[in-house]
Amino acid sequence: MTDDLLLSLQGVAVGYGRHVVLQNVDLGVRRGRFTGLLGANGSGKSTLLKTILGILPPMAGRIEFRGASGGQPVLGYVPQREALDSIFLVSCFEMVLMGACGRVGPGRFFNQAEKDWARHCLRETGAEELARKRFSELSGGQKQRVLVARALATKPEFLLLDEPTAGIDTTVTQSILELLRNLHARQQLSILMVSHDLRAVRRCAQDVIWLHQGKVSQGAVNELLRREQVEALLDLALE
Amino acid sequence: MSVLREIFDPQFLSRNSVYISLLIGFVCPLVGVYLVVRRVVFLGVALPQVSSCGIAFAFAMQGWGWIPHAHDSAGERAIALGGSIVFTLAAILLLSIMERSGRGLIEGRTGTAYVLAGAWGILLLAQNPLGEHGLLDLLRGQIIAVSDTDLVLTAITFGFVVLALFLFQKEFLFVSFDREMAITLKKRVIVWDTLLFTLIGLTISVSVLSVGPLVAFGFLLLPPLIAYQFAQTMRQFAITASVIGGVTAVAGFVIAYRRDLPVGPTDVALLGILYAFSFGGRKLFRSRTLAATGAKPQASPTNPG
Repeated sequence: MTDDLLLSLQGVAVGYGRHVVLQNVDLGVRRGRFTGLLGANGSGKSTLLKTILGILPPMAGRIEFRGASGGQPVLGYVPQREALDSIFLVSCFEMVLMGACGRVGPGRFFNQAEKDWARHCLRETGAEELARKRFSELSGGQKQRVLVARALATKPEFLLLDEPTAGIDTTVTQSILELLRNLHARQQLSILMVSHDLRAVRRCAQDVIWLHQGKVSQGAVNELLRREQVEALLDLALE
Repeated sequence: MSVLREIFDPQFLSRNSVYISLLIGFVCPLVGVYLVVRRVVFLGVALPQVSSCGIAFAFAMQGWGWIPHAHDSAGERAIALGGSIVFTLAAILLLSIMERSGRGLIEGRTGTAYVLAGAWGILLLAQNPLGEHGLLDLLRGQIIAVSDTDLVLTAITFGFVVLALFLFQKEFLFVSFDREMAITLKKRVIVWDTLLFTLIGLTISVSVLSVGPLVAFGFLLLPPLIAYQFAQTMRQFAITASVIGGVTAVAGFVIAYRRDLPVGPTDVALLGILYAFSFGGRKLFRSRTLAATGAKPQASPTNPG
């Protein structure tokens, strides 16, 4: 694993139960880069992301992180917003405070500094006025901003997002992508964004990992997502 | 008011029954809130039934001579409590292992646990050589004869449960609401789930022993379902549910005492009436509000959203 790699996967197989979704995955995510994980629906993007996050165990292979301290970096995770049950009566502020749970031990309560940090994260994502609103009552775009704020509240070294623009209209998609681009530029965050939207990845990401029919291609966006290259990849798949 | 003064009088013969009803009324809804938000309401029906089966099994063990025969009511209750706790926690463990294996539907597994526990409870009672004397009262939850020791033990157990729920509310909410993110933050979700369900199991075991499965189920679920209609935050939800449970326990006792009715079923019937009124009132209020604002309806335990 080279020094500029934050994450490295070697010979990794991912899946649910006994069902293998992807195998022999070799890839790396560079430190401080905005990386898009691109693929069609059902290509295994989310499964791969959940395996990287430790939510699913890898079926084979090795996953290695090298954070600033040499070990695993703090991960900020933005799940798909539909994954969160609307039955919970959670305000946006409480939602963002959850991001601090990794630092506040069991049986201890959030102190003023953590509460201030949560407000700061809401401000960073332009969601400060939503603090008192119930999360389940927000629109898709608002929810996404709050989820990004919660991920920032973990004080992450590596931000991982699962389809942050899925099911959101074009205008709101642009504002979410703008927010992510700004965060990346301002905080030099390493970002891995799962998306099926080629335009969104092209607009934001510097590097891209493309999953297509079980194969993994990786490179810089301006290389891999060139029209000829995309056509070649898709034609290759058709053959 | 005179009835209230009478039942809270230190000389009142059934004062311990009042106190134990009050404890169950306040504490069961606090754990019931988690059954509602985790959408495992049916577990609240099945576990009290399993707990009853455990009590029947513990008494059957005495009849078969597997364990020494208890000679006083304290000994009987200790044996019953042991059976109740072991069966409830074993059922929780078994159901969670089956859930992790991902086979079948959770409703199917819980429903199976419910009917099997019910059937085995009846079979164990029927063939118990010690007869059904006293045991049926215990399972029906007559809440009549509660000793000082029972009351103190229940209070200590519930005190522990409430303290744990208060101290670890952040962890319980987090692993219930967003298990995946909790994993990414290195929270031991299995440990927290186990602790939460142990607290639920303990509460159910102690409650079933005092008031029976029907009433335990009623207090576990109806106050949270009523409170959900009005609460805005999780804290409000838990506190409102607990207050509704506690107030209903006292009101039910008063009504049962005045009308010479069994206390437990009176409590549940009262909760049912409250639920119907709150649900109807909420629906009416919301339909008027929605008509005025044109907004979409929100999720609820009866409307997944």
